[in-house]
Amino acid sequence: MIPFRAMSATSEVPAAFRNAAGDRGPVRLVREGIGDIRSRRRLVRYLVQADIRKRGADTLLGNIWWVLDPLLQMVVYVAFLSIVVRNGPPDYPLFIFAAILPWKWFTASVTDATTSIVRQDALIKQIQFPKIVLPVAAATAGIVSFAFGTVALGILMVFFSDRISWYLVFIPVIAAVQYVFTLAFSFLVAAGNVFFRDLSNVIGHVLRLWWFLSPGLYSLAALDQVHFIQANPWVRTLVNLNPFAILFEAYRIVIYGTPTGPPSAPDMAALTGLLVASIGFLALTTYIFKRLEPNFAKII
Amino acid sequence: MLIRRRQRPSEAKPDYAIATADLGVYYDLRFTKKTTIRSSFAEMIGRGRSRHFWALRHVNLMVQRGESLAVIGPNGAGKSTLLQVLAGIIRPSEGAVDVNGHVSGLLSLGAGFDKELTGRENILLGGAFLGLEDSTTRELLPSIIEYAELGDFIDAPLRTYSAGMRARLGFSIATAIDPDILLLDEVLATGDANFRAKSKARVIEIVAAAKAVVLVTHDMAWVTEYCNRALLIEHGAVVMEGEPAEVVEMHQAHTEEARARTAEAAKAAGVDPRIAPIR
Repeated sequence: MIPFRAMSATSEVPAAFRNAAGDRGPVRLVREGIGDIRSRRRLVRYLVQADIRKRGADTLLGNIWWVLDPLLQMVVYVAFLSIVVRNGPPDYPLFIFAAILPWKWFTASVTDATTSIVRQDALIKQIQFPKIVLPVAAATAGIVSFAFGTVALGILMVFFSDRISWYLVFIPVIAAVQYVFTLAFSFLVAAGNVFFRDLSNVIGHVLRLWWFLSPGLYSLAALDQVHFIQANPWVRTLVNLNPFAILFEAYRIVIYGTPTGPPSAPDMAALTGLLVASIGFLALTTYIFKRLEPNFAKII
Repeated sequence: MLIRRRQRPSEAKPDYAIATADLGVYYDLRFTKKTTIRSSFAEMIGRGRSRHFWALRHVNLMVQRGESLAVIGPNGAGKSTLLQVLAGIIRPSEGAVDVNGHVSGLLSLGAGFDKELTGRENILLGGAFLGLEDSTTRELLPSIIEYAELGDFIDAPLRTYSAGMRARLGFSIATAIDPDILLLDEVLATGDANFRAKSKARVIEIVAAAKAVVLVTHDMAWVTEYCNRALLIEHGAVVMEGEPAEVVEMHQAHTEEARARTAEAAKAAGVDPRIAPIR
Protein backbone atom coordinates (compact mmCIF):
# COMPACT_ATOMS: atom_id res chain seq x y z
CA MET A 1 0.00 0.00 0.00
CA ILE A 2 2.88 2.33 0.67
CA PRO A 3 4.18 3.65 -2.59
CA PHE A 4 7.25 5.14 -1.01
CA ARG A 5 10.63 3.66 -0.77
CA ALA A 6 12.47 4.58 2.35
CA MET A 7 15.47 6.71 1.75
CA SER A 8 18.64 4.82 2.22
CA ALA A 9 20.56 5.91 5.23
CA THR A 10 23.98 5.28 3.75
CA SER A 11 23.88 6.56 0.20
CA GLU A 12 22.83 10.06 -0.67
CA VAL A 13 21.20 9.21 -3.97
CA PRO A 14 19.29 5.95 -3.89
CA ALA A 15 18.93 3.84 -6.99
CA ALA A 16 16.24 5.13 -9.28
CA PHE A 17 13.17 3.02 -9.72
CA ARG A 18 11.09 3.60 -12.77
CA ASN A 19 8.78 0.66 -12.75
CA ALA A 20 5.48 1.67 -11.23
CA ALA A 21 4.77 -1.76 -9.80
CA GLY A 22 8.28 -1.92 -8.47
CA ASP A 23 9.54 -5.22 -7.23
CA ARG A 24 6.17 -6.61 -6.19
CA GLY A 25 5.39 -9.95 -7.73
CA PRO A 26 2.03 -11.31 -8.87
CA VAL A 27 1.30 -13.23 -5.67
CA ARG A 28 2.11 -10.22 -3.52
CA LEU A 29 -0.06 -7.95 -5.65
CA VAL A 30 -3.04 -10.30 -5.51
CA ARG A 31 -2.64 -10.60 -1.74
CA GLU A 32 -2.47 -6.82 -1.49
CA GLY A 33 -5.63 -6.55 -3.55
CA ILE A 34 -7.48 -8.89 -1.21
CA GLY A 35 -6.11 -6.96 1.78
CA ASP A 36 -7.26 -3.66 0.25
CA ILE A 37 -10.82 -4.90 -0.09
CA ARG A 38 -10.91 -6.50 3.34
CA SER A 39 -9.56 -3.43 5.11
CA ARG A 40 -11.94 -1.12 3.25
CA ARG A 41 -15.15 -3.14 3.62
CA ARG A 42 -16.87 -0.14 5.16
CA LEU A 43 -15.93 2.06 2.23
CA VAL A 44 -17.31 -0.51 -0.22
CA ARG A 45 -20.53 -0.58 1.80
CA TYR A 46 -20.90 3.19 1.77
CA LEU A 47 -20.22 3.32 -1.96
CA VAL A 48 -22.77 0.61 -2.66
CA GLN A 49 -25.35 2.37 -0.49
CA ALA A 50 -24.71 5.68 -2.25
CA ASP A 51 -25.05 3.99 -5.62
CA ILE A 52 -28.36 2.36 -4.72
CA ARG A 53 -29.70 5.55 -3.21
CA LYS A 54 -28.86 7.53 -6.30
CA ARG A 55 -30.35 5.13 -8.78
CA GLY A 56 -33.52 4.75 -6.79
CA ALA A 57 -34.02 8.41 -5.97
CA ASP A 58 -33.55 9.67 -9.50
CA THR A 59 -36.59 7.99 -10.95
CA LEU A 60 -40.22 8.75 -10.42
CA LEU A 61 -41.34 5.22 -9.72
CA GLY A 62 -38.34 4.52 -7.48
CA ASN A 63 -38.02 0.89 -6.58
CA ILE A 64 -41.02 -0.18 -8.63
CA TRP A 65 -39.01 0.68 -11.69
CA TRP A 66 -36.38 -1.88 -10.71
CA VAL A 67 -39.01 -4.60 -10.72
CA LEU A 68 -40.66 -3.42 -13.91
CA ASP A 69 -37.45 -3.05 -15.89
CA PRO A 70 -36.63 -6.75 -16.48
CA LEU A 71 -40.33 -7.53 -17.00
CA LEU A 72 -40.66 -4.89 -19.70
CA GLN A 73 -37.55 -6.16 -21.43
CA MET A 74 -39.02 -9.64 -21.38
CA VAL A 75 -42.27 -8.34 -22.90
CA VAL A 76 -40.29 -6.74 -25.75
CA TYR A 77 -38.48 -9.98 -26.55
CA VAL A 78 -41.60 -12.11 -26.29
CA ALA A 79 -43.59 -9.77 -28.52
CA PHE A 80 -40.79 -9.61 -31.08
CA LEU A 81 -39.93 -13.29 -31.11
CA SER A 82 -43.49 -14.56 -31.20
CA ILE A 83 -43.85 -12.65 -34.49
CA VAL A 84 -40.58 -13.91 -35.96
CA VAL A 85 -40.24 -17.43 -34.59
CA ARG A 86 -43.93 -18.34 -34.11
CA ASN A 87 -43.49 -21.74 -32.45
CA GLY A 88 -41.08 -21.08 -29.61
CA PRO A 89 -40.83 -23.29 -26.54
CA PRO A 90 -43.86 -23.39 -24.21
CA ASP A 91 -44.04 -20.80 -21.41
CA TYR A 92 -41.66 -18.69 -23.44
CA PRO A 93 -41.85 -15.59 -21.11
CA LEU A 94 -40.43 -17.58 -18.21
CA PHE A 95 -37.92 -19.24 -20.55
CA ILE A 96 -36.45 -15.83 -21.50
CA PHE A 97 -36.82 -14.28 -18.08
CA ALA A 98 -34.54 -16.91 -16.55
CA ALA A 99 -31.76 -15.41 -18.67
CA ILE A 100 -32.78 -11.73 -18.52
CA LEU A 101 -32.64 -11.83 -14.72
CA PRO A 102 -28.90 -12.60 -14.39
CA TRP A 103 -27.98 -10.69 -17.54
CA LYS A 104 -29.46 -7.41 -16.19
CA TRP A 105 -27.20 -7.76 -13.18
CA PHE A 106 -24.12 -8.45 -15.29
CA THR A 107 -24.65 -5.49 -17.63
CA ALA A 108 -25.50 -3.13 -14.75
CA SER A 109 -22.33 -4.16 -12.92
CA VAL A 110 -20.03 -4.06 -15.93
CA THR A 111 -21.30 -0.73 -17.30
CA ASP A 112 -21.01 0.82 -13.87
CA ALA A 113 -17.57 -0.68 -13.26
CA THR A 114 -16.21 0.57 -16.59
CA THR A 115 -16.47 4.19 -15.51
CA SER A 116 -15.99 3.54 -11.79
CA ILE A 117 -12.36 4.71 -11.79
CA VAL A 118 -12.55 7.63 -14.23
CA ARG A 119 -15.65 9.01 -12.53
CA GLN A 120 -13.64 9.50 -9.35
CA ASP A 121 -10.78 11.29 -11.10
CA ALA A 122 -10.81 14.29 -8.76
CA LEU A 123 -10.62 12.08 -5.71
CA ILE A 124 -7.91 9.81 -7.08
CA LYS A 125 -5.69 12.80 -7.73
CA GLN A 126 -6.09 13.96 -4.15
CA ILE A 127 -6.25 11.01 -1.82
CA GLN A 128 -4.24 7.83 -1.71
CA PHE A 129 -6.66 4.95 -1.27
CA PRO A 130 -6.97 1.47 -2.77
CA LYS A 131 -8.67 2.08 -6.10
CA ILE A 132 -9.80 -1.53 -6.27
CA VAL A 133 -12.73 -0.73 -3.96
CA LEU A 134 -14.40 1.24 -6.77
CA PRO A 135 -15.02 -1.66 -9.20
CA VAL A 136 -15.85 -3.91 -6.23
CA ALA A 137 -18.57 -1.46 -5.20
CA ALA A 138 -19.84 -1.20 -8.78
CA ALA A 139 -20.02 -4.97 -9.24
CA THR A 140 -21.70 -5.39 -5.86
CA ALA A 141 -24.27 -2.65 -6.39
CA GLY A 142 -25.42 -4.56 -9.47
CA ILE A 143 -26.70 -7.29 -7.17
CA VAL A 144 -29.53 -4.91 -6.24
CA SER A 145 -30.75 -5.11 -9.81
CA PHE A 146 -30.71 -8.89 -9.41
CA ALA A 147 -32.53 -8.76 -6.08
CA PHE A 148 -35.35 -6.67 -7.52
CA GLY A 149 -35.35 -8.97 -10.52
CA THR A 150 -36.16 -11.89 -8.24
CA VAL A 151 -39.23 -9.98 -7.06
CA ALA A 152 -40.25 -9.72 -10.70
CA LEU A 153 -39.55 -13.43 -11.02
CA GLY A 154 -41.87 -14.11 -8.09
CA ILE A 155 -44.63 -12.15 -9.82
CA LEU A 156 -44.04 -14.00 -13.08
CA MET A 157 -44.03 -17.37 -11.31
CA VAL A 158 -47.63 -16.76 -10.24
CA PHE A 159 -48.62 -17.11 -13.89
CA PHE A 160 -46.52 -20.23 -14.42
CA SER A 161 -47.18 -21.83 -11.07
CA ASP A 162 -46.86 -25.39 -12.39
CA ARG A 163 -43.13 -24.74 -12.91
CA ILE A 164 -42.45 -23.69 -9.29
CA SER A 165 -40.11 -26.17 -7.63
CA TRP A 166 -37.68 -26.58 -4.75
CA TYR A 167 -34.83 -26.27 -7.25
CA LEU A 168 -35.23 -22.48 -7.00
CA VAL A 169 -32.99 -22.66 -3.91
CA PHE A 170 -30.07 -23.21 -6.31
CA ILE A 171 -30.39 -19.59 -7.55
CA PRO A 172 -28.07 -18.13 -4.86
CA VAL A 173 -25.49 -20.82 -5.63
CA ILE A 174 -25.48 -19.97 -9.34
CA ALA A 175 -25.50 -16.25 -8.47
CA ALA A 176 -22.39 -16.72 -6.32
CA VAL A 177 -20.51 -18.19 -9.29
CA GLN A 178 -21.74 -15.33 -11.46
CA TYR A 179 -20.56 -12.79 -8.87
CA VAL A 180 -17.00 -14.10 -8.97
CA PHE A 181 -16.94 -13.87 -12.75
CA THR A 182 -18.56 -10.41 -12.74
CA LEU A 183 -16.05 -9.12 -10.22
CA ALA A 184 -13.12 -10.38 -12.28
CA PHE A 185 -14.51 -8.87 -15.47
CA SER A 186 -15.22 -5.57 -13.66
CA PHE A 187 -11.57 -5.18 -12.60
CA LEU A 188 -10.50 -5.61 -16.20
CA VAL A 189 -12.86 -3.04 -17.74
CA ALA A 190 -12.37 -0.54 -14.89
CA ALA A 191 -8.59 -0.52 -15.32
CA GLY A 192 -8.82 -0.70 -19.10
CA ASN A 193 -11.06 2.34 -19.35
CA VAL A 194 -8.44 4.48 -17.62
CA PHE A 195 -6.07 3.89 -20.50
CA PHE A 196 -8.61 3.67 -23.31
CA ARG A 197 -11.50 6.02 -22.70
CA ASP A 198 -13.51 4.75 -25.65
CA LEU A 199 -13.81 1.38 -23.93
CA SER A 200 -16.94 2.71 -22.23
CA ASN A 201 -18.46 3.23 -25.69
CA VAL A 202 -17.34 -0.14 -26.96
CA ILE A 203 -18.46 -2.10 -23.93
CA GLY A 204 -22.17 -1.50 -24.55
CA HIS A 205 -21.92 -3.04 -27.99
CA VAL A 206 -19.74 -5.89 -26.77
CA LEU A 207 -22.36 -6.69 -24.13
CA ARG A 208 -25.19 -6.66 -26.68
CA LEU A 209 -23.32 -9.01 -28.98
CA TRP A 210 -22.45 -11.21 -26.02
CA TRP A 211 -26.14 -11.45 -25.08
CA PHE A 212 -27.18 -12.64 -28.50
CA LEU A 213 -24.29 -15.13 -28.69
CA SER A 214 -25.28 -16.56 -25.32
CA PRO A 215 -28.15 -19.03 -24.99
CA GLY A 216 -30.57 -16.51 -23.48
CA LEU A 217 -33.30 -16.34 -26.10
CA TYR A 218 -32.63 -19.91 -27.19
CA SER A 219 -31.41 -23.04 -25.44
CA LEU A 220 -28.23 -24.97 -26.15
CA ALA A 221 -30.42 -27.91 -27.13
CA ALA A 222 -32.08 -25.74 -29.79
CA LEU A 223 -28.64 -24.67 -30.98
CA ASP A 224 -27.72 -28.32 -31.61
CA GLN A 225 -30.61 -28.55 -34.07
CA VAL A 226 -29.11 -25.82 -36.26
CA HIS A 227 -27.53 -27.27 -39.40
CA PHE A 228 -24.55 -24.92 -39.35
CA ILE A 229 -23.62 -25.98 -35.81
CA GLN A 230 -23.93 -29.67 -36.70
CA ALA A 231 -21.62 -29.16 -39.68
CA ASN A 232 -19.10 -27.18 -37.62
CA PRO A 233 -18.64 -28.79 -34.19
CA TRP A 234 -15.89 -26.32 -33.27
CA VAL A 235 -18.51 -23.55 -33.05
CA ARG A 236 -20.30 -25.60 -30.43
CA THR A 237 -17.02 -25.93 -28.50
CA LEU A 238 -16.63 -22.15 -28.62
CA VAL A 239 -20.15 -21.70 -27.29
CA ASN A 240 -19.30 -23.97 -24.37
CA LEU A 241 -16.43 -21.67 -23.41
CA ASN A 242 -18.85 -18.80 -22.83
CA PRO A 243 -19.44 -18.49 -19.06
CA PHE A 244 -22.97 -17.35 -19.74
CA ALA A 245 -23.75 -20.52 -21.66
CA ILE A 246 -23.22 -22.39 -18.40
CA LEU A 247 -24.89 -19.72 -16.23
CA PHE A 248 -28.00 -19.28 -18.41
CA GLU A 249 -28.49 -23.01 -18.74
CA ALA A 250 -28.14 -23.38 -14.97
CA TYR A 251 -30.60 -20.57 -14.18
CA ARG A 252 -33.02 -21.93 -16.75
CA ILE A 253 -32.99 -25.51 -15.54
CA VAL A 254 -33.84 -24.49 -11.96
CA ILE A 255 -36.38 -21.77 -12.85
CA TYR A 256 -37.98 -23.14 -16.00
CA GLY A 257 -36.79 -26.68 -16.55
CA THR A 258 -36.82 -27.83 -20.16
CA PRO A 259 -39.52 -27.28 -22.82
CA THR A 260 -40.74 -30.81 -22.18
CA GLY A 261 -39.74 -31.42 -18.57
CA PRO A 262 -40.03 -29.85 -15.11
CA PRO A 263 -37.13 -28.03 -13.35
CA SER A 264 -34.22 -30.09 -12.08
CA ALA A 265 -30.80 -29.62 -10.46
CA PRO A 266 -28.21 -27.67 -12.46
CA ASP A 267 -25.09 -29.22 -13.96
CA MET A 268 -22.91 -28.98 -10.85
CA ALA A 269 -19.78 -30.18 -12.65
CA ALA A 270 -20.06 -27.36 -15.18
CA LEU A 271 -20.76 -24.81 -12.43
CA THR A 272 -17.80 -26.00 -10.37
CA GLY A 273 -15.58 -25.80 -13.43
CA LEU A 274 -16.78 -22.26 -14.09
CA LEU A 275 -16.21 -21.30 -10.45
CA VAL A 276 -12.62 -22.56 -10.53
CA ALA A 277 -11.98 -20.80 -13.84
CA SER A 278 -13.56 -17.59 -12.53
CA ILE A 279 -11.39 -17.63 -9.41
CA GLY A 280 -8.33 -18.00 -11.63
CA PHE A 281 -9.60 -15.18 -13.84
CA LEU A 282 -10.22 -13.06 -10.75
CA ALA A 283 -6.65 -13.60 -9.54
CA LEU A 284 -5.38 -12.60 -12.99
CA THR A 285 -7.46 -9.43 -13.25
CA THR A 286 -6.65 -8.47 -9.64
CA TYR A 287 -2.98 -8.73 -10.57
CA ILE A 288 -3.50 -6.65 -13.72
CA PHE A 289 -5.47 -4.05 -11.78
CA LYS A 290 -2.91 -3.76 -8.99
CA ARG A 291 -0.13 -3.61 -11.51
CA LEU A 292 -1.73 -0.67 -13.34
CA GLU A 293 -3.07 1.08 -10.23
CA PRO A 294 -0.02 3.29 -9.50
CA ASN A 295 -0.44 4.93 -12.92
CA PHE A 296 -4.08 5.91 -12.49
CA ALA A 297 -3.44 9.26 -10.78
CA LYS A 298 -1.09 10.35 -13.54
CA ILE A 299 -3.29 9.38 -16.45
CA ILE A 300 -6.75 10.33 -15.29
CA MET B 1 -4.74 9.11 3.47
CA LEU B 2 -3.19 8.16 6.76
CA ILE B 3 -0.11 6.29 5.82
CA ARG B 4 1.33 4.45 8.73
CA ARG B 5 4.87 3.57 7.95
CA ARG B 6 6.32 0.36 9.15
CA GLN B 7 9.15 1.05 11.50
CA ARG B 8 12.43 -0.26 10.28
CA PRO B 9 13.78 -2.34 13.13
CA SER B 10 17.46 -1.42 13.10
CA GLU B 11 17.03 2.30 12.69
CA ALA B 12 15.78 4.95 14.98
CA LYS B 13 12.92 7.11 13.77
CA PRO B 14 14.35 9.93 11.70
CA ASP B 15 13.78 13.41 13.07
CA TYR B 16 12.61 14.87 9.78
CA ALA B 17 9.02 14.74 8.57
CA ILE B 18 9.67 14.66 4.84
CA ALA B 19 12.80 14.07 2.82
CA THR B 20 13.28 13.64 -0.87
CA ALA B 21 16.42 12.71 -2.73
CA ASP B 22 16.83 13.57 -6.38
CA LEU B 23 13.09 13.21 -6.82
CA GLY B 24 11.75 13.18 -10.35
CA VAL B 25 8.32 12.55 -11.85
CA TYR B 26 7.54 12.24 -15.49
CA TYR B 27 4.25 11.88 -17.32
CA ASP B 28 4.03 9.59 -20.28
CA LEU B 29 2.42 11.70 -22.96
CA ARG B 30 1.15 8.64 -24.79
CA PHE B 31 -1.37 8.07 -22.07
CA THR B 32 -2.35 11.47 -20.82
CA LYS B 33 -5.99 12.40 -21.04
CA LYS B 34 -8.50 10.86 -23.35
CA THR B 35 -6.42 8.23 -25.06
CA THR B 36 -8.37 6.19 -27.52
CA ILE B 37 -7.64 2.70 -28.74
CA ARG B 38 -7.16 4.06 -32.24
CA SER B 39 -4.61 6.68 -31.27
CA SER B 40 -2.64 4.12 -29.26
CA PHE B 41 -2.47 1.83 -32.26
CA ALA B 42 -1.27 4.75 -34.35
CA GLU B 43 1.42 5.37 -31.75
CA MET B 44 2.46 1.75 -31.68
CA ILE B 45 2.65 1.35 -35.43
CA GLY B 46 4.10 4.77 -36.15
CA ARG B 47 6.63 6.50 -34.01
CA GLY B 48 7.04 4.06 -31.19
CA ARG B 49 9.16 6.52 -29.28
CA SER B 50 7.73 7.33 -25.93
CA ARG B 51 7.53 10.97 -25.09
CA HIS B 52 8.10 11.90 -21.51
CA PHE B 53 7.28 15.11 -19.79
CA TRP B 54 9.25 15.78 -16.65
CA ALA B 55 6.90 17.51 -14.26
CA LEU B 56 9.54 17.48 -11.55
CA ARG B 57 13.21 16.72 -11.57
CA HIS B 58 16.14 16.70 -9.16
CA VAL B 59 14.13 17.84 -6.17
CA ASN B 60 15.96 17.57 -2.87
CA LEU B 61 14.17 18.80 0.16
CA MET B 62 13.92 18.18 3.83
CA VAL B 63 11.09 19.30 6.06
CA GLN B 64 11.63 19.12 9.80
CA ARG B 65 8.89 18.61 12.33
CA GLY B 66 7.19 21.86 13.22
CA GLU B 67 8.13 23.43 9.95
CA SER B 68 5.75 25.10 7.57
CA LEU B 69 6.99 25.02 4.02
CA ALA B 70 5.42 27.08 1.28
CA VAL B 71 5.72 25.90 -2.29
CA ILE B 72 5.32 28.72 -4.76
CA GLY B 73 5.80 29.12 -8.47
CA PRO B 74 3.93 29.83 -11.68
CA ASN B 75 1.07 27.65 -12.91
CA GLY B 76 2.18 24.30 -14.25
CA ALA B 77 5.53 24.44 -12.49
CA GLY B 78 5.01 21.11 -10.74
CA LYS B 79 3.83 22.30 -7.34
CA SER B 80 0.77 20.09 -7.23
CA THR B 81 2.75 17.15 -8.57
CA LEU B 82 5.14 17.56 -5.65
CA LEU B 83 2.26 17.45 -3.18
CA GLN B 84 0.84 14.39 -4.92
CA VAL B 85 4.16 12.59 -4.54
CA LEU B 86 4.38 13.54 -0.86
CA ALA B 87 0.83 12.32 -0.35
CA GLY B 88 1.69 8.98 -1.97
CA ILE B 89 -0.75 9.46 -4.81
CA ILE B 90 1.96 9.41 -7.46
CA ARG B 91 5.03 7.24 -7.30
CA PRO B 92 8.29 8.95 -8.09
CA SER B 93 9.74 8.06 -11.48
CA GLU B 94 13.24 8.45 -10.09
CA GLY B 95 14.82 9.27 -6.81
CA ALA B 96 13.18 8.62 -3.49
CA VAL B 97 10.85 10.14 -0.99
CA ASP B 98 10.53 9.36 2.68
CA VAL B 99 7.58 10.54 4.71
CA ASN B 100 7.42 10.00 8.45
CA GLY B 101 4.02 10.21 10.00
CA HIS B 102 0.39 10.30 9.09
CA VAL B 103 -0.25 12.36 6.03
CA SER B 104 -3.44 14.23 5.39
CA GLY B 105 -3.82 16.02 2.16
CA LEU B 106 -6.63 18.10 0.99
CA LEU B 107 -5.08 19.20 -2.17
CA SER B 108 -8.17 21.04 -3.16
CA LEU B 109 -11.36 20.77 -1.25
CA GLY B 110 -14.36 18.57 -1.60
CA ALA B 111 -13.09 16.37 -4.39
CA GLY B 112 -14.55 13.14 -3.14
CA PHE B 113 -17.92 14.54 -2.28
CA ASP B 114 -21.02 12.92 -3.65
CA LYS B 115 -23.57 15.55 -4.57
CA GLU B 116 -26.57 13.32 -3.91
CA LEU B 117 -25.52 12.43 -0.38
CA THR B 118 -26.06 14.65 2.64
CA GLY B 119 -23.25 16.46 4.39
CA ARG B 120 -23.30 13.92 7.20
CA GLU B 121 -23.10 10.98 4.80
CA ASN B 122 -20.29 12.69 2.94
CA ILE B 123 -18.32 13.00 6.16
CA LEU B 124 -18.70 9.26 6.75
CA LEU B 125 -17.79 8.49 3.13
CA GLY B 126 -14.86 10.90 3.25
CA GLY B 127 -13.61 9.29 6.45
CA ALA B 128 -13.83 5.87 4.81
CA PHE B 129 -11.87 7.13 1.82
CA LEU B 130 -9.24 8.56 4.14
CA GLY B 131 -8.94 5.17 5.80
CA LEU B 132 -10.37 6.11 9.16
CA GLU B 133 -12.14 3.59 11.33
CA ASP B 134 -15.87 4.18 11.15
CA SER B 135 -16.06 4.60 14.92
CA THR B 136 -13.39 7.31 14.74
CA THR B 137 -15.30 9.19 12.06
CA ARG B 138 -18.49 8.98 14.09
CA GLU B 139 -16.66 10.33 17.12
CA LEU B 140 -15.32 13.22 15.08
CA LEU B 141 -18.69 13.89 13.46
CA PRO B 142 -20.03 16.52 15.91
CA SER B 143 -16.83 18.56 15.91
CA ILE B 144 -16.57 18.43 12.11
CA ILE B 145 -20.16 19.60 11.71
CA GLU B 146 -19.68 22.36 14.24
CA TYR B 147 -16.42 23.53 12.73
CA ALA B 148 -17.87 23.61 9.22
CA GLU B 149 -20.67 25.94 10.41
CA LEU B 150 -23.26 24.17 8.31
CA GLY B 151 -26.16 24.14 10.73
CA ASP B 152 -29.22 22.31 9.46
CA PHE B 153 -27.70 21.96 6.04
CA ILE B 154 -25.71 18.99 7.31
CA ASP B 155 -28.67 16.72 6.55
CA ALA B 156 -29.40 18.24 3.13
CA PRO B 157 -27.95 16.82 -0.07
CA LEU B 158 -24.64 18.36 -1.04
CA ARG B 159 -25.98 19.69 -4.32
CA THR B 160 -27.84 22.31 -2.33
CA TYR B 161 -24.58 23.62 -0.84
CA SER B 162 -22.75 26.71 -1.96
CA ALA B 163 -19.11 26.45 -3.04
CA GLY B 164 -18.06 28.02 0.23
CA MET B 165 -20.04 25.51 2.27
CA ARG B 166 -18.43 22.64 0.43
CA ALA B 167 -15.00 24.12 0.97
CA ARG B 168 -15.67 24.51 4.68
CA LEU B 169 -16.83 20.93 4.97
CA GLY B 170 -13.74 19.69 3.11
CA PHE B 171 -11.41 21.68 5.31
CA SER B 172 -13.13 20.46 8.46
CA ILE B 173 -12.84 16.82 7.47
CA ALA B 174 -9.22 17.01 6.46
CA THR B 175 -8.03 18.87 9.54
CA ALA B 176 -10.23 16.99 12.01
CA ILE B 177 -8.14 13.86 11.75
CA ASP B 178 -5.14 15.48 13.39
CA PRO B 179 -2.45 14.57 10.89
CA ASP B 180 1.28 14.62 11.53
CA ILE B 181 1.84 16.11 8.13
CA LEU B 182 -0.67 18.33 6.40
CA LEU B 183 -0.51 19.00 2.69
CA LEU B 184 -2.56 21.93 1.48
CA ASP B 185 -3.09 22.98 -2.10
CA GLU B 186 -4.70 26.38 -2.60
CA VAL B 187 -7.18 25.94 0.18
CA LEU B 188 -6.63 29.12 2.09
CA ALA B 189 -8.38 31.21 -0.52
CA THR B 190 -11.69 29.39 -0.09
CA GLY B 191 -14.66 30.41 1.96
CA ASP B 192 -15.61 33.84 3.17
CA ALA B 193 -13.27 36.15 5.07
CA ASN B 194 -14.49 34.76 8.37
CA PHE B 195 -13.77 31.16 7.58
CA ARG B 196 -10.49 32.09 5.92
CA ALA B 197 -9.34 33.59 9.19
CA LYS B 198 -10.53 30.49 11.02
CA SER B 199 -8.75 28.10 8.69
CA LYS B 200 -5.55 30.11 8.97
CA ALA B 201 -5.82 29.83 12.73
CA ARG B 202 -6.27 26.06 12.43
CA VAL B 203 -3.23 25.67 10.17
CA ILE B 204 -1.15 27.72 12.59
CA GLU B 205 -2.41 25.47 15.37
CA ILE B 206 -1.29 22.35 13.51
CA VAL B 207 2.11 23.86 12.80
CA ALA B 208 2.44 24.86 16.45
CA ALA B 209 1.70 21.30 17.53
CA ALA B 210 5.06 20.34 16.06
CA LYS B 211 3.48 19.03 12.92
CA ALA B 212 4.73 19.68 9.46
CA VAL B 213 2.80 21.57 6.84
CA VAL B 214 3.53 21.81 3.15
CA LEU B 215 1.28 24.18 1.30
CA VAL B 216 0.94 25.39 -2.22
CA THR B 217 -0.42 28.88 -2.45
CA HIS B 218 -0.51 32.06 -4.46
CA ASP B 219 -1.17 34.10 -1.35
CA MET B 220 2.24 35.71 -0.82
CA ALA B 221 1.16 37.48 2.32
CA TRP B 222 0.48 34.12 3.93
CA VAL B 223 3.87 32.81 2.83
CA THR B 224 5.85 35.61 4.40
CA GLU B 225 3.72 35.77 7.49
CA TYR B 226 3.23 32.16 8.52
CA CYS B 227 5.74 29.97 6.71
CA ASN B 228 9.23 29.60 8.00
CA ARG B 229 10.60 28.41 4.69
CA ALA B 230 9.66 28.69 1.05
CA LEU B 231 10.46 26.77 -2.09
CA LEU B 232 10.27 28.29 -5.57
CA ILE B 233 9.60 25.80 -8.34
CA GLU B 234 9.77 26.70 -12.01
CA HIS B 235 9.50 24.25 -14.89
CA GLY B 236 9.75 21.28 -12.58
CA ALA B 237 12.98 22.34 -10.92
CA VAL B 238 13.72 23.97 -7.60
CA VAL B 239 14.95 27.46 -8.37
CA MET B 240 15.36 28.73 -4.86
CA GLU B 241 14.86 27.61 -1.31
CA GLY B 242 15.15 29.65 1.83
CA GLU B 243 13.71 32.60 3.73
CA PRO B 244 10.11 33.22 2.65
CA ALA B 245 10.64 36.94 2.08
CA GLU B 246 13.59 36.37 -0.23
CA VAL B 247 11.96 33.58 -2.18
CA VAL B 248 8.77 35.57 -2.62
CA GLU B 249 10.81 38.49 -3.86
CA MET B 250 12.51 36.31 -6.45
CA HIS B 251 9.20 34.79 -7.50
CA GLN B 252 7.69 38.20 -8.01
CA ALA B 253 10.74 39.35 -9.99
CA HIS B 254 10.47 36.26 -12.21
CA THR B 255 6.75 36.77 -12.70
CA GLU B 256 7.39 40.34 -13.84
CA GLU B 257 10.08 39.14 -16.23
CA ALA B 258 7.86 36.43 -17.63
CA ARG B 259 5.06 38.90 -18.13
CA ALA B 260 7.36 41.23 -20.05
CA ARG B 261 8.70 38.37 -22.13
CA THR B 262 5.30 37.00 -23.14
CA ALA B 263 4.21 40.49 -24.11
CA GLU B 264 7.21 40.78 -26.41
CA ALA B 265 7.44 37.34 -27.92
CA ALA B 266 3.77 36.44 -28.14
CA LYS B 267 4.06 35.61 -31.80
CA ALA B 268 7.05 33.25 -31.57
CA ALA B 269 5.58 29.77 -31.21
CA GLY B 270 8.25 27.42 -29.93
CA VAL B 271 8.26 23.82 -28.74
CA ASP B 272 8.14 23.32 -25.04
CA PRO B 273 11.71 22.33 -24.17
CA ARG B 274 10.46 19.89 -21.57
CA ILE B 275 8.87 17.70 -24.23
CA ALA B 276 11.91 15.83 -25.35
CA PRO B 277 12.46 12.25 -26.45
CA ILE B 278 13.92 10.03 -23.79
CA ARG B 279 16.98 8.04 -24.66
